Amino acid sequence: MKIKCESLRETLSEKIREGYTYLEKITATDYIDHIEALYFIRDIEKNLDELIRFDLPAKNPKVPSVMDLYIGADWYERELGEMFGIEIVGRKAKRLLLEKWDGTGAPLRKSFEWGKPYDSKSG
Amino acid sequence: MMAETKINIGPVHPSTHGVLRLVVTLDGDTVTHVEPHIGFLHRGVEKLVETRMYMQSPSYMEKLDYVAPLCHDELYVSTVEALLGVTVKERAQWVRVVQMELQRIASHLFFLGTVLNDIGQLFTVFMWVFKDRDLVLRLLEEGTGGRMFYVNMRVGGVNRDLPPGFAEHACKVLDYLEHRVKEYEDYLNSSSIFMERMKGIGVLDSRKAINMGVTGHMLRASGVEYDARKAHPYYIYEKLRFRQMVENGGDCYARYKVRMREIVESIRLVREALHSMPDGDALGMPIRLIGPLPKEKEVVVRRELPRGEGMMYLIPDGQRPYRLAIRAPCFINAYTLEHLPVGHRLQDLFAIMASIDLVLADVDR
Repeated sequence: MKIKCESLRETLSEKIREGYTYLEKITATDYIDHIEALYFIRDIEKNLDELIRFDLPAKNPKVPSVMDLYIGADWYERELGEMFGIEIVGRKAKRLLLEKWDGTGAPLRKSFEWGKPYDSKSG
Repeated sequence: MMAETKINIGPVHPSTHGVLRLVVTLDGDTVTHVEPHIGFLHRGVEKLVETRMYMQSPSYMEKLDYVAPLCHDELYVSTVEALLGVTVKERAQWVRVVQMELQRIASHLFFLGTVLNDIGQLFTVFMWVFKDRDLVLRLLEEGTGGRMFYVNMRVGGVNRDLPPGFAEHACKVLDYLEHRVKEYEDYLNSSSIFMERMKGIGVLDSRKAINMGVTGHMLRASGVEYDARKAHPYYIYEKLRFRQMVENGGDCYARYKVRMREIVESIRLVREALHSMPDGDALGMPIRLIGPLPKEKEVVVRRELPRGEGMMYLIPDGQRPYRLAIRAPCFINAYTLEHLPVGHRLQDLFAIMASIDLVLADVDR
């Protein structure tokens, strides 16, 4: 299901009302000119899966936090932020979850090079 | 009221089963806050596979969960198969199910040993269980050639079929294990220390379990009926009779109980599969035969791994994956460590951690 980034929270709230109360995973794919964010959700009772996807710009990507809708989004969002350099809007900044170096860089971006700091503003 | 204390557990600690650091805030000896620090074993597997050809990666996948490597290997190979549109050979499906269920038994036995170690029954049951687990590992070695890491899955089939006489040998081991598991259960049910350390500790109700997105035995121990083998049946699971194990307690004891019942169910499954396995060819394609694939396609494959539901999302790009996203069951189960121990005493933290059954290599990827 393709949506716009702005309607993410709205869509997920509606999906939760429909019964998609289980968040399976949040991840993304870097297509160089843009990033596609992926939210896998599930209705456990009816055994239905849904994939919510939307495009983000390669420069300065931002997504709203959905932690108040799904508690389990916490670590996925932190992972998304570190691995793709996506800014998660609307949640308290915490220390880095996975990265144990200086934290500069977004390893799952295609432009990532070892030893070279990544600048989220230049894409 | 006592002053608040902050203590550091790990990253190298016998009860964390790997490199996990917990910063625990205590009021007296009651836990008020837990902050897990993960990522010490982060290898960047998702990035690494982008630089490898498809069938160079299964051995990386095995290292995700080194207690149940065969199941991760199978998950990855079946993702590649889904991409290619390959159907797995009939006999190979049975062989895979037998080996995956044996791996599940081995992994759950490992859990039983470590959970008792962590609540203070140092090494007695651990040693018994390791002896029994070794019998299962020997069966897997007979079938695959490997003892710890197997890399037995090939596109469309397996690398080695089960050897002659395997069924008889396996049935003997399974009979013995069934008897042993019952013995362990009787022994533990009569142990008041075990019961007190496990019952009512780290309760996760079904609503919260779903909202947190926990998976596998964590979800089923909280009364949610969900097993990927039933929800998204694959291979021959539809033909086999088995139940998904659900408990309603949501506490450490329920999680232990689900595991124990799953061992018995897996023993039954392997026996049934060995009994009705068809003859034929089970060997898969040689590794080098996977050609370049167009980038337009994407696949999602889900499997019930011993530690919960695993999922892989793969986009191809010629000879290599463009993007592989791995949903590691331990990653989200580890997240519950921020919530479950709060309000319990410090020693209960270890019982909770053991009942979650983490493999840190899977958490960090």
